[in-house]
Amino acid sequence: MQHRRFVAGGRRLLLGLLPAATLLAIAPPVSAQRAQPCIGASWELTGPLAHTGFSIRIAVETALEEINAAGGVLGQPLRLVAYDDAGEPARAVDNARRIGERDNCIVMMGGFRTPNAIALRDPLAEMELPWVGVISAGTAVIEHPNNANKWMFRVSMKDRWVAPFLVEHAKARTKSGKIALVYEGTAWGQGAVPDVERAMAAINMPLVAKETFNIGDQDMSAQLIRLRDAGVDTIILYAVDREATNLVRSMDRLGYRPTIIAAWGVGVQFARTAGPLAEGVLVAGTFSWMGDLPPRAAGVLQRMMQKFPQITSPADIPLPSGTANAYDATYIIAEAIKLAGRFDRDAFRQALYRVNYDGIVASYRPAFEPRQERHDAILPQHYKLFAFHNGAMLPVEQTPFRQAAR
Amino acid sequence: MEAIVQYLLSGLSAGSVYGLIALGFYVMWSAAKAVNFTYGEMFMLGGVLTVVLMEFGLPLPVAALAAIAAAALAGAVIERAFVRPFNREANAIGWMLTTIAVGIMIESSTTATYGPLGRPLPTPLVEQPLRIGGSGIYPQELLLPVAAVAVTAALEFFYRRTVLGRAMRAVSFNRVAAGLVGIDADRITLLAFAIAGGLGAFAGFLIAPVIQASSTMGVIVGLKGFMVAIIAGIANARGVVVVGILYGVVEKLIEGYLSTAARDAIGFTLMILLLLLFPQGLFGRPEVRKV
Repeated sequence: MQHRRFVAGGRRLLLGLLPAATLLAIAPPVSAQRAQPCIGASWELTGPLAHTGFSIRIAVETALEEINAAGGVLGQPLRLVAYDDAGEPARAVDNARRIGERDNCIVMMGGFRTPNAIALRDPLAEMELPWVGVISAGTAVIEHPNNANKWMFRVSMKDRWVAPFLVEHAKARTKSGKIALVYEGTAWGQGAVPDVERAMAAINMPLVAKETFNIGDQDMSAQLIRLRDAGVDTIILYAVDREATNLVRSMDRLGYRPTIIAAWGVGVQFARTAGPLAEGVLVAGTFSWMGDLPPRAAGVLQRMMQKFPQITSPADIPLPSGTANAYDATYIIAEAIKLAGRFDRDAFRQALYRVNYDGIVASYRPAFEPRQERHDAILPQHYKLFAFHNGAMLPVEQTPFRQAAR
Repeated sequence: MEAIVQYLLSGLSAGSVYGLIALGFYVMWSAAKAVNFTYGEMFMLGGVLTVVLMEFGLPLPVAALAAIAAAALAGAVIERAFVRPFNREANAIGWMLTTIAVGIMIESSTTATYGPLGRPLPTPLVEQPLRIGGSGIYPQELLLPVAAVAVTAALEFFYRRTVLGRAMRAVSFNRVAAGLVGIDADRITLLAFAIAGGLGAFAGFLIAPVIQASSTMGVIVGLKGFMVAIIAGIANARGVVVVGILYGVVEKLIEGYLSTAARDAIGFTLMILLLLLFPQGLFGRPEVRKV
């Protein structure tokens, strides 16, 4: 009796599930569903990294206004749906789920922090949601350990390529041949150590010293005394504005002034906080809004200043390279949607490999290639060296520091 | 030799900041047997508010005084709203939670309004360092030990020679007995927290030209200042300043001769060992209770 009841109940359950199962069977996979004409974004819009989210947002909104004024994409305006992750990886993953499943945007844009981007690797692949990063430069964001990155792209620098760039310029400027690395004790700083060591080995030069410091350190005399005693005349620096300022202050105390070639954590705020001590510090990047700009970039700057009253001068754009990267990335996304011919994520992803676009940072021909190393659009030959001069961060060619030592 | 001179100079500067902050904890503890764990934020307000007020056009001395006054007011408000209601019972610890929470709120709201990046606080005293051979220090940094000694002397004078100061000492000895002889212990405690708030802001204002004024400038320093106060024996003004300066110098020697990365780990370990050896603090006295 009990057995008969169980069988009858099982039949009813199966009959009830049948329509749902049929619906599931005929439903297309997530990626093939018609996506919405929106760029979803997870940025650091509040908290200690709010300036990074702001640097990206001003560029994306300006570019979208231009794109939509010119007719949008496939006859529709392209929208921005931006969420705040406050720099926390868990919130970035939540935001990606919203963007991929609820908003159903065709693409997602990333923010500043590499850990956030790395946390998105699996969710993006699972949702088949293309992602375009514009700042987070960690090598592993794009070069996944399983060599199977399909969905993550980047219009930014890559740490693995930055180190040889810094080393090359350090070699060109050192007189004593004694180069040292100074880095912050974070994943970014520590992650740079093997990259810099490899790059130094590649040019057959020893790295004379390695020194680290903690975030928030206010005095770096001890590290600098050791470097001075070792005869170091050129420092490769991985730091952000605050600690970079404290480093040059410590140098000033000691009367020790080696050449500094910094990775792009050093931004325009450094000129404000370090004042005259910033003079001559070199920094890698992709773009600066200061100095003589090409006409197109000057127009973009003008429109950003009109749209965002808080930007009264290029000095108010905290991360100049990130802003320029984001501007180009928005156009690359728009071009790829046009090439895809429909709002379909996989077609969009395939189209990214066919985009040829002249941006303000670089000429992307093509923007990406279908191997994960080339899911980076900005190549080492596009990297630029900037110098702080008279309180501005300028292309080194526009400063007295353009000449290498030899 | 140059290196040692530099470590002493840098340690003197950093240690004086710890000492000044520890003095603030001393003032609060003396009056209420409780402290304000937002104290790192009072320190931050000294730098940040001075910068903001200068951006509004106020001259440096006026901006600094206004910032210190605002922090003193904040200290009083915190005592009234977040310490006193949670410190009525013996052995109450609610004030710890409330002051930590308020500290986080102050820091977050400062980040949201002032911005996350540091800003310069220009003074003529950081334009050119004084150099001794290959070592150096900014004149602004030399103000710090001078201020620490001066504040200690002023506090001792205040506690010993003024009616209000004596009333504060009476409250710290025995709150109930002080009340019985007509001293308003609550008002005295409020005043102590206000003095401490102003003192923290004063320290923040003095160091901000060297380290930039930022919303997070007080986080670690506030913690170290508290640690210094505990190690010194929190009820001894001279002791907290001496231990503060010593800790600053020890930190620099660790950086110079052991490890920069492990500085805090080694420094905190040393502090814990000291606390094991001297449970009352280096300058503290065991509390004797007659029963």
